[in-house]
Amino acid sequence: MEVDRVRRVVVGRVEEIPPGERVIVTPFRGRAGIGVFNVAGRFHALRNLCPHKLGPLCTGRVSGLVVAEAPPSTDAPGLDIERDGAILRCPWHLWEFEIASGRCLVDPRMRVKTYPVVIEEGEVVVYAAAADQPVQPASPMAG
Amino acid sequence: MATRLGARPVTAPDWSRRPRTDLALIDCDVHQIIQAPEDLFPHLPRVYREQAREQGLCLPGSGYFNVARDACRTDLSGCDSPAASFDGRHLGDDYALLREQHLDLWQVDHVLLTGGSVYGSSLIPDPDFAAALCSAFNDWTLEQWVARDERLLMALAVSVSDPRLAVAEIERLGDHPRVKAIMLPTGSRMPYGNRHFHPIWEACARHGLVVAVHPGAEGAGMAGPPTGVGYPTYYIETRMARPQMAMAHAVSLIAEGVFEKYPELKVLFNEVDQFWAVGLMWHMDADWKSLRDQTPWVKRLPSEYFRQHIRVGSQPMLEPENNAQFFCMLDAMHAEETLIYCSDWPHWDWDDPATTFPRLPDHLHRRVFSENARELFGL
Repeated sequence: MEVDRVRRVVVGRVEEIPPGERVIVTPFRGRAGIGVFNVAGRFHALRNLCPHKLGPLCTGRVSGLVVAEAPPSTDAPGLDIERDGAILRCPWHLWEFEIASGRCLVDPRMRVKTYPVVIEEGEVVVYAAAADQPVQPASPMAG
Repeated sequence: MATRLGARPVTAPDWSRRPRTDLALIDCDVHQIIQAPEDLFPHLPRVYREQAREQGLCLPGSGYFNVARDACRTDLSGCDSPAASFDGRHLGDDYALLREQHLDLWQVDHVLLTGGSVYGSSLIPDPDFAAALCSAFNDWTLEQWVARDERLLMALAVSVSDPRLAVAEIERLGDHPRVKAIMLPTGSRMPYGNRHFHPIWEACARHGLVVAVHPGAEGAGMAGPPTGVGYPTYYIETRMARPQMAMAHAVSLIAEGVFEKYPELKVLFNEVDQFWAVGLMWHMDADWKSLRDQTPWVKRLPSEYFRQHIRVGSQPMLEPENNAQFFCMLDAMHAEETLIYCSDWPHWDWDDPATTFPRLPDHLHRRVFSENARELFGL
């Protein structure tokens, strides 16, 4: 059986991915690829495959989280947007994910795979193995 | 704009969970939409052209927010930031995108083009302008879409406010080999079983056209409110109201004897979820046994009419807690007869052909993904 080697994937130079930007790389043929996001100077890498319906998660919109402390009323504070740039929404069905953790904010059973990202000599580098990218993620309807 | 390498993973070679290529795939809800009123000008009478040039098409909107990018998938528009400017372009105007990212990618055999906001023409007060708008949209669709790809079938836009004008449009185009249905919004002044509509159903039955009904114009223009208790506040509430609108129309069609009058007529409800069909059949059968004498022209159990004449689109497919519940629902709604695959391309809440269902037994897969549609449209 072939040993599944971790591959060193160079995403780009740090200055090529400024805060708020992303790059999607596809190091493994036929796999969904990896989205690398710069959120306020910190880099995060997520599998580009939504655990909900396998949509291209990392092509979605980066946004904040719309919040309200209470149902609307004349006394309550209005709508607010928190954590601008920290949230990713899948373009298929718009589920919200926390970029830093891969956690799905609307379904606690869901999490998108994350990868270690390091800066090496000014380059953004992700370490990933093909086996990290199974073609069939856990389905919410399994079982 | 972020650098985008390999931004569309579903196009990657060997991407798995693709739809089964050994089975046919028919998608009965694909939206084609004009970019601007000017698209229709070659097909509109001059008086309406001049009015629309300065005043738009007056199609009634519902007044609720949908979602960004005119409700289209942002992976198709390449827009990954809410801050990016938006020119208002709806991706449903792009045949090349449909071909590349849907028909070819998922190997779709046929799609039913179901239009878009033009459904609202049924709720425009001026019936003559409404009918002209529908004719222009149909001519545009035939010219810009149907003529370019033999996989494309279409549902005719018609306005029901003057049934004679609707019938005239059906007579004009109903025998075109790729016209398979007419398209109506759920938003309406009356339930669709009302005898006001019967001349339209008669024409559909005569031309072998399906009556396709899709959310649209709920609470807009001349339509009644989107729910039986009035106007809800938020968009999500209007979505939850879709099953009640579908039920109201379906129950009315059965109770008013439409399927006794027009035994060939078929009705397809798209994008209104599915489970309502189960509740309707169970509840209406039970009540019919008690109240049959009030509608004695309804000669069979309501569920028999439903299973024979009414079809339900699969999008948005409900997501029960587990597969056991999912298969229970399919069994209870007689999915092998009633359920028809729909994607809702190119909208954000679309259902792709590969992950929408748990693996279905082969015979059921064939029914849902192609054979029910083949029988419905005589393909």
